[in-house]
Amino acid sequence: MTGGWARRTLDRLYAGSGVVAAAFLVAIFAVVLAQVVLNTLDAALSVVTGAPLGLLLPSYAEFAGYFLAASTFFALAYTFRSGSHIRVTLLVRNLPPGARRVAEVWCCAAGAVLAGIATLTAGRLTWESWSYGDVSYGLVPIPIFLPQIAMTVGLGLLTIAFVDSGLAAARGGTLPSDGEDD
Amino acid sequence: MELLAAVVLVVVLLGLLASGLWVAVSLIGVAAIGVAAFAGAPVGRVLASSLWSASSQWALAALPMFIWMGEILFRSRLSDDLFEGLAPWMARLPGRLVHVNIVGCGLFAAVSGSSAATCATVGKMALPELARRGYDERLTIGTLAGSGTLGLLIPPSIILIVYGVAIEESIARLFVAGVIPGIVLMALFMGYVAAWSWLHPDRVPPPEPPVPLIRRLIGARRLIPVMALIIGVIGSIYTGLASPTDAAAVGVALALVISWASGSLTWATFRDSLMGATRTSCMIAFILGGAAFLTTAMGFTGIPRALAEWIGAMGLSPGLLLAVLTVFFIALGCFLDGISVVVLTTAVILPMVEAAGIDRIWFGIYLVLVVEMSQITPPVGFNLFVLQGLTGKNILTIAKAALPFFCLMIVAVVLLVAFPGLATWLPQQMAAR
Repeated sequence: MTGGWARRTLDRLYAGSGVVAAAFLVAIFAVVLAQVVLNTLDAALSVVTGAPLGLLLPSYAEFAGYFLAASTFFALAYTFRSGSHIRVTLLVRNLPPGARRVAEVWCCAAGAVLAGIATLTAGRLTWESWSYGDVSYGLVPIPIFLPQIAMTVGLGLLTIAFVDSGLAAARGGTLPSDGEDD
Repeated sequence: MELLAAVVLVVVLLGLLASGLWVAVSLIGVAAIGVAAFAGAPVGRVLASSLWSASSQWALAALPMFIWMGEILFRSRLSDDLFEGLAPWMARLPGRLVHVNIVGCGLFAAVSGSSAATCATVGKMALPELARRGYDERLTIGTLAGSGTLGLLIPPSIILIVYGVAIEESIARLFVAGVIPGIVLMALFMGYVAAWSWLHPDRVPPPEPPVPLIRRLIGARRLIPVMALIIGVIGSIYTGLASPTDAAAVGVALALVISWASGSLTWATFRDSLMGATRTSCMIAFILGGAAFLTTAMGFTGIPRALAEWIGAMGLSPGLLLAVLTVFFIALGCFLDGISVVVLTTAVILPMVEAAGIDRIWFGIYLVLVVEMSQITPPVGFNLFVLQGLTGKNILTIAKAALPFFCLMIVAVVLLVAFPGLATWLPQQMAAR
């Protein structure tokens, strides 16, 4: 299995979703910074013209919030595979190899079940937002199902990563590092 | 009934955590069990909406921005600049260059929200330099472990963002509330170093030739960019000119400029800082999402209210309640990281604390101070891990070196309880504006 096309595809999927998540962080930075620059310009101009012009990026706070959600959920699987989600390894680390394997498989199985449930319920929430045509309250009516798609996809990727890692652990592999080796 | 349910759920949660299940997943798991077994509400609907509303907030967008800013500066030349700029000024104090650890951590804490990053940045440069000059190794390691925790207290603070978002309190006020306690803690640490050096003159290396004022000023010039960044970020939040999220985005821009001007901004450092921020922010936001689900689930079960009434019926004084909570948090902090302790607290303990008449902002600062202590207690203490990586010493040796600073932090907690104004005065001045 290792080195096969399935392995390569999955690894590219995790890495790719991490890059998408990082792009959303840059988007938050860009939107917020643009708004701050506009605010400053507005304040400077109002000294000259006597009244603020009201320069602003419509709904920038909502955009920043949705970008944040998209970044968080897209990064879930990538963060998991790089061993950055926090867990208590004190006990697991000191188990004999056989028992440790059982514990790792249990963790991935429990993770897969819970992430799977979360994916399904997120999918339903997204579907409802779409069918009711829910939009955000701000100046720009943003359809809420768009960022919620990111939540559903991200949780789905996390479920896949849990199943993937659980199968690897069952075959005697190790889970993504937990910082215990640094 | 509720108390029994509370005991069952606590046991389940500890079992899930101990089995190695990721913290965020454990929170979701125990909350799902709680809703299904003790409340009979539809689990799925609550799960999706809690996750969604917790992770799509404007205020939380400050989190990845401050993390990113710290990541950029961590990879810049700031570590050298802090040492070179500060060292000549500290040479006259009793304890000499050991104070660079404390002041350097205090300054880096003001541009970074993480205590592990603070500890690593200052330690990277100061540890070899101080060892080369013959300073007492235990004192050097202890001051770094202790002062590294300033990263959580002095704004911007990742953990105060988490607390503020979880209890829907103004993050700007929480940030401002942390300033004075942070300075008090620095003063305690510096006082201890001075007293120790005065008692052990034989273990302090001889003074270096004095550096003329003009040379010291030239050295201090290297600190100007970081001072400007600190004043810009904290000042704009305090005066209400910018929200924490705005200030954080400007902070990222300035950190990029500083890093570029000092020649340390390359594609590799940019990419590493961005991906590092993506991972850390995702990890924390996922825990917050799990905690939001747990908070809602707890609301359905009625457990926090029952606990609050139970504690209320015992008629504990706030002082005694805080003493019990302090011991509880330190015990919890031996095994859990600070963020997990904070989100568990807000889900279950906050109603009890508010029923006892304790101010939410004050409690946030108290909580951070106590959680900071857990950063330097074995077996799980992130600052200890960082120093282990930097020095290659055994974790117990490092913990022993950090012990005096742990005790000083207890003194700080007592001071905070005795003089609550340390945390509440500055935010009130902000309100008066």
